[in-house]
Amino acid sequence: MGLTADEFTIQFISTVVKFSILAVMLLQVPPVMLLVERRIPAFMQRRKGPNRVGLFKFRLYGVMQALADTIKLIFKEEVVPEGAQKVFYHLAPVFSVFPAFLIAMAIPYGPDIQVLGQTIPLSVVRLDVGFLFIFAISSLAVYGVTIAGWASNNKYALLGSLRASAQMISYEIPLGMSLIPIVLIYGSLDLNKIVEAQTTFLKWGIFLSPISFLLFLIAMFAETNRTPFDLSEAEGELVAGFHTEYNSTKFAAFFLGEYVSMFVLSCLASTVFFGGWQVPFFDVRALDQLVGLPGVGALVGFGSLLMKAAFFMWLYVWVRWTIPRFRYDQLMNLGWKYMIPLGLINVVATALVLAAVWFK
Amino acid sequence: MPDFSSLMSHGVFHLLAGLITLVSVLVVVSKHPVKSAVFLVVDLFLLAAVYASLESHFVAAIQVLVYAGAVVVLFLFVIMLLNLQPDQLRGMRFNPVEAVTLIVSVIGMLIMLGVSMSGKPTGLGDGSMDVNAIEAAGGNTYMIAMKLLTDYIWPFELASILILLAIVAAVVIAKKDKKPVVS
Amino acid sequence: MNPYIPVLMALLFGIILGGALSALAALLGPKKPSPEKSDPFECGVPMVTSANEKMSVKFYLTAILFILFDIETIFLYLWAKAFPNLGWFGVLEVMVFMVILVAGYIYVIKRGALEWD
Repeated sequence: MGLTADEFTIQFISTVVKFSILAVMLLQVPPVMLLVERRIPAFMQRRKGPNRVGLFKFRLYGVMQALADTIKLIFKEEVVPEGAQKVFYHLAPVFSVFPAFLIAMAIPYGPDIQVLGQTIPLSVVRLDVGFLFIFAISSLAVYGVTIAGWASNNKYALLGSLRASAQMISYEIPLGMSLIPIVLIYGSLDLNKIVEAQTTFLKWGIFLSPISFLLFLIAMFAETNRTPFDLSEAEGELVAGFHTEYNSTKFAAFFLGEYVSMFVLSCLASTVFFGGWQVPFFDVRALDQLVGLPGVGALVGFGSLLMKAAFFMWLYVWVRWTIPRFRYDQLMNLGWKYMIPLGLINVVATALVLAAVWFK
Repeated sequence: MPDFSSLMSHGVFHLLAGLITLVSVLVVVSKHPVKSAVFLVVDLFLLAAVYASLESHFVAAIQVLVYAGAVVVLFLFVIMLLNLQPDQLRGMRFNPVEAVTLIVSVIGMLIMLGVSMSGKPTGLGDGSMDVNAIEAAGGNTYMIAMKLLTDYIWPFELASILILLAIVAAVVIAKKDKKPVVS
Repeated sequence: MNPYIPVLMALLFGIILGGALSALAALLGPKKPSPEKSDPFECGVPMVTSANEKMSVKFYLTAILFILFDIETIFLYLWAKAFPNLGWFGVLEVMVFMVILVAGYIYVIKRGALEWD
């Protein structure tokens, strides 16, 4: 790959810039979600939720609640349980945090932009095997949960973590299988290409493969251990499951990992099924010429993706506070006995339909 | 203009190879099996990095997905199921079989080192396509897929039979004391 | 530019962030260990049994079946990528592949290996 020094520098700098912006953005997600998770259910339950924490005597409708919670969490004492595996106890939160950030690298946040004559794709990493990279990294997220529970020397934590990890791996199969029809339809594993292929509104993934969307949505909820699948970490069930013995910022780290992976999976769902940075009935890439400013198209596309991801995040919260929790055996049954056959049938049906349309 | 890519790939490879060797030793030497398993994950991840540096992106992703993300999870489950107490763990006491294995592996490694340094091609892969040719032909995954489903179709189908065997074996072993077919 | 440089960046960032958060817990905050606090949490009741009981074999079975179906999914991904160029022949090949695996799946269900995990 012969790149001149100039090209290399531009690409390198743009990568660093992209990465920094992305990292900062991802770090804002948990504080926002902290607030959202308490205000939205409050409104759903006809009460107000936290709205008193303010800054300089301005109530600000409770926006500073997240800051207050974070500060409180940071200064709590860390109680390492007796008999815990020292190294792993401290290491487990790391395994929860880094997969989410890695996955975020592969998602295209906007159309390619032109900087100094070079085309810069708006995903930090542009891989031929985009999908598989995402699945590979998300399969590493299981370790955070597994090691955390085991390292705590608490049999409830261990049980909780084993069940959580069994749940996560069980739902990785439908997660992967649900996206095979997408690859069949759009013909590529590269997420940039998939977004670009969803040019008109009716070519969005959700219309071309609704069952895939259903499977992916359910698997998404299960992978992030969110209600109705949060048996392993819910209050009142196995205490707090795998993170029983974790407090202070380690708990925050698990929390961070969970919310960032929720956001990242939401972005993935928007990318594959909802057109990503495309806006319906509108070509975002042509916006640059229309408005006359470079980069406007990219911003609009980015905003479009964020809106779709925000929809999914809101969906997460809505579902959490509406649907009761599943029992563990119901959960595993759903994953293995219903979703896998449905996924297989989906793949076969899509293949047959496409073959009939393309090859005959 | 120095050729950055080949310089980097050489340096990267040696760095990775060194790291892999180091971590592999840690896998074998660790007293606690869970530590070994975690080092193994790191090892497999580094191996995926080696594949990636050789432009085999698909194999790299699969390595992480299946090996680091599934097989070692299985290992961890088994280790946690067995739940050995620290005093039950053997630590570094040698037994003769292990000593022999160690010596044989070291000899094997030296032989492989000698062969690779002699520069003779091993005959695997016909080297007919370099990176750019593969890109032009549709990409890494596509080429693997085409080859798998056309030239190597029999191994593909046999792989499915192998997986079937594994499924049956796993269920039989795990369910040995339970009652047979649930009707 | 090598596409994995950002991967490395992100990996380092994630590890440092996780490590920093982890370390922050140990550094900030008071340190007043006490016997009650160090006990494993069991809803306020002293520990009844030790944390080292044998766990059930269902987890092991789930993990093995996960590996096998994961591998199947990967083969399907490969086929999906080459699908346009393989035509009906490709569909047939993969049908054979899937039939064999579905047979395995049905065996698993019949045998009750996935019951009430």
